[in-house]
Amino acid sequence: MKSMSLYEEKHSFLNKLSPITKMIYVVAAILIPAFAGEKMLAVGFMIFSMLLLMHSKVIRRTFPILGVSGFVVLTVLIIQGLFRAGNETVVLDMGPVAFYKEGLLFALGIAINVFNIILCFCVLVLSTKPSDMVEELVRKGFSPRIGYVFTSLFQLIPQMTDRMSTITDAQKSRGMETEGSLMIRMKAFLPLISPVIMSSFIDTKERAIALEVRGFNAKNKKTFLNESTKIPVDNVIIIILVVGIVCSIGWRIMTWLR
Amino acid sequence: MNTIEMKDIHFSYTEKEEILKGINITIDERSTAIIGQNGAGKTTFVKLLKGLLRPNSGKILLNGTDIADMTVAALAKDIGLIFQNPNDQIFKNTVLSEVMFGPLQMGMSKAQAEESARKALEMVGLMNMEKINPYDLGLSDRKLVSIAAIVAMDTKVIIFDEPTIAQDYMGKERIKKIMKDLRAQGKIVISILHDMDFVAETFERAIVFAKGNVLLDGDVKTVFSQKDVLEEAYLEQPSTAKLCHELGYGEIFLTPEEFIAMKQKEA
Repeated sequence: MKSMSLYEEKHSFLNKLSPITKMIYVVAAILIPAFAGEKMLAVGFMIFSMLLLMHSKVIRRTFPILGVSGFVVLTVLIIQGLFRAGNETVVLDMGPVAFYKEGLLFALGIAINVFNIILCFCVLVLSTKPSDMVEELVRKGFSPRIGYVFTSLFQLIPQMTDRMSTITDAQKSRGMETEGSLMIRMKAFLPLISPVIMSSFIDTKERAIALEVRGFNAKNKKTFLNESTKIPVDNVIIIILVVGIVCSIGWRIMTWLR
Repeated sequence: MNTIEMKDIHFSYTEKEEILKGINITIDERSTAIIGQNGAGKTTFVKLLKGLLRPNSGKILLNGTDIADMTVAALAKDIGLIFQNPNDQIFKNTVLSEVMFGPLQMGMSKAQAEESARKALEMVGLMNMEKINPYDLGLSDRKLVSIAAIVAMDTKVIIFDEPTIAQDYMGKERIKKIMKDLRAQGKIVISILHDMDFVAETFERAIVFAKGNVLLDGDVKTVFSQKDVLEEAYLEQPSTAKLCHELGYGEIFLTPEEFIAMKQKEA
């Protein structure tokens, strides 16, 4: 079945790890540099995430994501470099405008944080099947209802786009022009959107009944279709990451107390 | 006389897998059933006829004119396609206005469209339901609404995609009658079907698709007598034909009526 996800099975080390481990990695990669207040740690995590992605052979899929966010970061760099309050030391004089060291450094800090967060999320998202992730969370006590909402989203959106194209075909077959001027497109809107909405309602009703028939709201303890896929390495990694997070928090408290 | 010629049609969605591998068919006024296993290329074939997909190579001629330069909406005047699921097209809140939508799109005046719609509704047997909201009807009646919506457009060619799904005996009989009436009006009736008995009782010509090729093409009786070839395409014979085959008859009969008539003649 078609699903909306960036995930790809490559049988890599990352694919084999439990989703929980990767989620803790995301938390660690964000929290440890933040608590420690050390930018170099974030750079370290960035490089490490990149190495992991390369090892999983999915690094190429991060390029478009990095490209889009890179553009945003670039605008931050320009604005802060030119106009940040407290800009004093000129690094690059370009006639009417000049880039300042303070602003650029501040923007660099933001850039490091942004890319670090994006890359660690890539580690999780590109190597984990969304449904596995949700199942693992539900196993850990996350509400199955909300879990269902998440997993169904990944299926519903491609399903609806499919539906939409069938409906477009059906209405075109009845002589409705869907391309051309704005007027034509506006006229086409209602015949296209109404069947989508109507059939989504019908689908929703049937989906709810189908779920209920299979005991979705049953009160007893439920079992899972897939076994938890934890491997021994998972535990080792989780321990290291948690120790890392605790240490960074400890470090922060110590610096406060001092 | 209306004809559709397909000349050496090749089509693929992706580069790796060719769905239609050189189809050469001329469809004439005989009512034509398209049968074959799922994934054999039937729906792709009718979408090509309708211009919803364009062939990678080859030509489709409707009464001698190439349809390659016509938009789907322009083709709608000549070729009507009834989709499998009526919910994919119904959006108006009364049956009558739903059926009038197509004719109005084709540029008929309101009065003409209404007349055409009423005729179509009468043909499908829904004339007392014009004020009802289509979504208050059951699925089988809603299917009839979608059929009427295309019939009202008065096209030369009418294509049905799986019309008998979710229809009971009454519904099937009604659809059979609609098809025969359309045929009598001189329209080309084409239908994708899985119900072999329905094909045997309703159609004159059958085209069997298998793996993107035409495996058999001929009048229904000839096609259905070739049990071995049909099995190759994972298809069954109609029940009466199966019975004749099991009884070891040389000649097969397609419908119970024919079979009984033969028996009575013998006796």
